[in-house]
Amino acid sequence: MRSTAVFAAASAAVFLVMYIMVARTIRERGDSWLVGESETLRQVALNTPRDAFYERIVEEVAELASQEVSWDSGGQHVEGNTVFFAQIGNPSDPPVWVGPHDSSHFLDALRHSNIPQRSPVSLRVDGWGEPFRVVALDMSPGKSRVYLGLLDLGAAHLLRQLLARFFLGWMFMVAFGFLVTLLGLRRMLKRVDAITGAAASIRTDDLGTRVPVGHQQDEVARLARTFNNMLDRISASVNQLRTLTDSVAHDLKSPITSVRGSLEIALSLDDREQSSELVAKAIDHLDRLSEAITTSLDVAEGEGGALRLRREPVDLSNLVQRVADLYAPAFSDRHQRLNISATDPALIAADLSLCTRMLSNLMENELRYAGTGAWISIEAHAQDGHATITVIDNGPGFAEDMLPRVFQRFVKGPASEGHGLGLAFVSAVAVAHGGRAAARNRPEGGAQIIVELPLSTLQAEQRQPAEIFVASP
Amino acid sequence: MRLLVVEDDKMIREFLTRALAESGFRVDACAHGSEAEAMALEGVHDALVVDLTLPDMDGLELIQRLRAQGVASPVLILSARRSVDERVLGLERGGDDYMTKPFAVAELQARLRALLRRSTPGQSETTRLHVADLEIDLIRREARRGGLELQLTQQEFALLEYLCRNAGRVVTRAMVLDHVWKMRIDTSTNIVDVHIHRLRSKVDRESERPLIRTIRGVGYLLQD
Repeated sequence: MRSTAVFAAASAAVFLVMYIMVARTIRERGDSWLVGESETLRQVALNTPRDAFYERIVEEVAELASQEVSWDSGGQHVEGNTVFFAQIGNPSDPPVWVGPHDSSHFLDALRHSNIPQRSPVSLRVDGWGEPFRVVALDMSPGKSRVYLGLLDLGAAHLLRQLLARFFLGWMFMVAFGFLVTLLGLRRMLKRVDAITGAAASIRTDDLGTRVPVGHQQDEVARLARTFNNMLDRISASVNQLRTLTDSVAHDLKSPITSVRGSLEIALSLDDREQSSELVAKAIDHLDRLSEAITTSLDVAEGEGGALRLRREPVDLSNLVQRVADLYAPAFSDRHQRLNISATDPALIAADLSLCTRMLSNLMENELRYAGTGAWISIEAHAQDGHATITVIDNGPGFAEDMLPRVFQRFVKGPASEGHGLGLAFVSAVAVAHGGRAAARNRPEGGAQIIVELPLSTLQAEQRQPAEIFVASP
Repeated sequence: MRLLVVEDDKMIREFLTRALAESGFRVDACAHGSEAEAMALEGVHDALVVDLTLPDMDGLELIQRLRAQGVASPVLILSARRSVDERVLGLERGGDDYMTKPFAVAELQARLRALLRRSTPGQSETTRLHVADLEIDLIRREARRGGLELQLTQQEFALLEYLCRNAGRVVTRAMVLDHVWKMRIDTSTNIVDVHIHRLRSKVDRESERPLIRTIRGVGYLLQD
């Protein structure tokens, strides 16, 4: 709306300027004729002796002159043009008058006006709608003055017509512009309304609604598409959150229930020995719960790409060796044979704490699921820009239906007593370091897990033994 | 020993005060950094326990201010953040310590004692440790129980040494992992139990006086 108003004002101003210029040109043309002609008449009046013929001669000349201006835009004689000539001298002499018959009005007007020499002015005369352009000249010997006046009705008419047409054209332009803007705006607003309607109908329990996009390629369509993309993302996040909260509700409620139960019983027991046993159990449960929450958040951050890494040079082979040393007695307690092959340094720029926990999770996973008496092989080596950890066993392997989801949070086998976070954490750490984790069942039986982490540039450039980074055993 | 606990969470502040008082410390506690600054500047505290998130300033800022004003007492930082801040590590390397919530009270007590010991100079490095009839030669890396040499692996020896150095004090699983294996894994797994079990089977098997005890829900204790 405002733009329409600005447009109207600007076009009106342009029209006005054009009108003023045309009007001035026309007036100047008339004025220059007036000045020239009045000079001629003055000469004639000066050179003609004031006898009985004086008036007749001046009248003839004025008559002739008046016919010169009878032009119009098409060169046609215009009846409306009126010219008058007056010579006014001493009150005793009668004025010389050539022009319309109501000379008294003219003479009154001339007498009461103060017209400068040689510069035409506008003069209003009673009984005439339009002002005359009048030029005055003094006759030098006598005190009389000659006046020459012109009412160019043709030009006035032309100007009036021009103004009318300008106005009409302007009105049309403004109205048209207004209409176009209004229609365009209404169509646009209708589409924005559709988006608003769709947005208003969206609630967290129903994120299926989408905004109509239409076929246009304009800003509103882009807005609609962006809006839909945003809805897709929100919907994905909400679904993820829902899965998470469901699992959290399930996985955290049971331990909380058991902790609460243990403490309640402990409170009611009189036997101190028994009650402290229960309290200790509750603390164990709480520790496990706290770890599950931490790991769950780490995995969620890893999946969202928000896991903060404190990178330092880590020799993955050495780390595998150290973590394996820690776990070796546990493996042998279960009569599992652990074979570690990690002698070549594999230097990565990694978060040591996260990598240690990742390896610890891999070991725990084998401890729990490879089965008593199984053999387990863990190998670490550097190749093709990657440090690769390969874990294989001859245990039962993954359940086929679980295999595609083993690295997802809260996915666990029927025998699992954990929260289904171990392998999810492994994958999250690998991904956070720009690597990946893969799992499969070996054709000859047993599970295989491969974790790949990008080698640090240091190792890629020069295969230097990395003793300097090997932490003390 | 007098401690200053700076913690804005009322529940944690109160249980810390109580737990530390029970283990024999005189405890002052406050919730605000500015208050803590004024109290610490009195210079009467042997160690400070500082939570990182305080209502009026960052815990690290508080520590930096105190250090700048000449307060040299060791500081144990408590943090609810999971990943350990780079700056915290820098500070820790300067001789202090940090713990992430949730933590075991026993671990807090143990770490505080360790800090206080470190800040008390004049302890000569021993080459032999004795607990009851258990003898450890740190140079020859041999351990004897009642005069009989124990056949220990390197790991078992390191574990026993750590327990002996902390004889009479409870050590938690996390502390064992941290000091013996140099690994900071918050683990609820029983991997440390496995090692303790093995060590105990060698140290306490022949004896009628078991030295290594498990404190349920907390950790382990080597005591006569």
